[in-house]
Amino acid sequence: VSAAVALGVIAVIVIATVLFGLWGVRNVKMSPQEFIVGGRSFGTVFIWLLMAGEIYTSFTFLGAAGWAYTRGAPAFYILCYGTVAYIIAFFLTPAVWRVARDRQLLTGPDFFTAQYGSKALGGLVALVGFVFLVPYITLQLGGLEILLHIAGYNTFDARMAVGIAFAVMALFVYAVGLRGTAWAAVIKDLLVLVGVVFAGLVLPIHFFGSPAAVISKVLERQPNWMTLPTTATPGGTVWFVTTVLLTALGFFVFPNTMAAVYAARSQDTLRRNAVFLPFYQLMILLVYFGGFTALLLVPGLKGPAGDQSFMLVVQKYYSPWVLGFVAGAGCLAALVPASTQILGAASIVSKNLFMDYGMVKTEAGSVTATRILVLVVSVLAFSFWFFARHTLVGLLLIAYTGMTQFFPGVALSFSRRLRPSAAGAGAGIAVGIITLAIFAANKTGTLAGINSGFVALTLNVIALFTVSALTGAYRRSGPGAREAA
Amino acid sequence: LRTKNRRLLQILLACIPAMALTIATPLANRVEPRIAGLPFFLAYIVLWVLLTPLLMWVVYSLEQPL
Repeated sequence: VSAAVALGVIAVIVIATVLFGLWGVRNVKMSPQEFIVGGRSFGTVFIWLLMAGEIYTSFTFLGAAGWAYTRGAPAFYILCYGTVAYIIAFFLTPAVWRVARDRQLLTGPDFFTAQYGSKALGGLVALVGFVFLVPYITLQLGGLEILLHIAGYNTFDARMAVGIAFAVMALFVYAVGLRGTAWAAVIKDLLVLVGVVFAGLVLPIHFFGSPAAVISKVLERQPNWMTLPTTATPGGTVWFVTTVLLTALGFFVFPNTMAAVYAARSQDTLRRNAVFLPFYQLMILLVYFGGFTALLLVPGLKGPAGDQSFMLVVQKYYSPWVLGFVAGAGCLAALVPASTQILGAASIVSKNLFMDYGMVKTEAGSVTATRILVLVVSVLAFSFWFFARHTLVGLLLIAYTGMTQFFPGVALSFSRRLRPSAAGAGAGIAVGIITLAIFAANKTGTLAGINSGFVALTLNVIALFTVSALTGAYRRSGPGAREAA
Repeated sequence: LRTKNRRLLQILLACIPAMALTIATPLANRVEPRIAGLPFFLAYIVLWVLLTPLLMWVVYSLEQPL
């Protein structure tokens, strides 16, 4: 009975959100412009919601708490990287937006095609972006499974329910495009806020009196929990700094985030968002409190099981109604971001491979292709989740280490003197991805404590400049170059 | 030239929180003194997350000529 109540509450929340999204787009005609970038008409609030959707995924809801639970201080990197990412975004996103408006860009890879005048580079970026979006979508599935498993009181195989929930969301994206997902994000963010306040304030106050008391208790048991080890190991200070840098640089070059940037009404919208979004980060502090509270109440979870942390507390001490509500908020935190990520992955393949290479010729054909690809990506992510099990953290880092390899090509394209050639930008990305593949083959994520993605990024930049120089990007060493200096 | 100086000032201001939350974090890697119940390391990060929008608001207002 408890399981039925909790799962029923989740079902009502998810269905209500889908209906709200459908209602939001009831009068909108779908063209590729509308379907993928919302007709470039989103104001501050919608852009805020889309970008916040990027942060408040099931990784934050479960993964951040899970890390606070299983690892302690290394989890604090999440609070840092989003904030640093917005500082970078203040300068980068308006410039990206101007290119998108002037050249009528739809997808992340379009930016490379336009800035470097190379369809091949756009195609490469689309392919790499597609590959690295799949684990990110898979991460959301892993989150869903944990939530449905706990809400079902471990009485049934959650895989079936995950499949159903995911199919509902894939069909939802198929129907409504970007604008519908922004509407769905309205409900998601409200519920997640309530869920996070519950986990991060209500739980600590209920059981220990205050979050500060929780922290004192954790420190009594594990005195080193709130600081980083100073050794050159994963989770150490060097790892912390390189991971914050890597993920902050990667944040705004995800194809789905680039599309969210294009959807803005103006540059000013983007700047104002970049200024205020850090305040939203404070929710993550509450998520840590939830994880620490769980560490005291349900100790002993190891590795990936830590991702269940505060959800297990809710399951153990509260009624199925409360559990259903919190888990429902968590399910939206998985499904809504998954839907923009699915849309991002589908649109880059449809636009930058099928359309740009003439396999699809009409606008209507492009919308149809994108819609079919939405279903293909969903099935791929589902298969990856079903056959290759990873932790939430592992999946996030796979996505970020890969995606950040786009950053040098995006940022340097605005530089007058350091602008790479198309071959240089392509070589940089290729070298970055090959480096990551070598790390993956050796089953390690660090080199002397440095995040593998950061190592790959360094080699990426070296390759980018070397090949650019070889292909003549910096040959204009006449009087013009001196003037620019 | 005035636009150029404004841009430089914007970037310098933005670098403060960006550095504080990246390369400077190992310097704050301590438990004591606790601030509002939070261990120092966490309090330091939270403080900079709060200061960032304030600094970036100044950077934003430099976007238009004064």
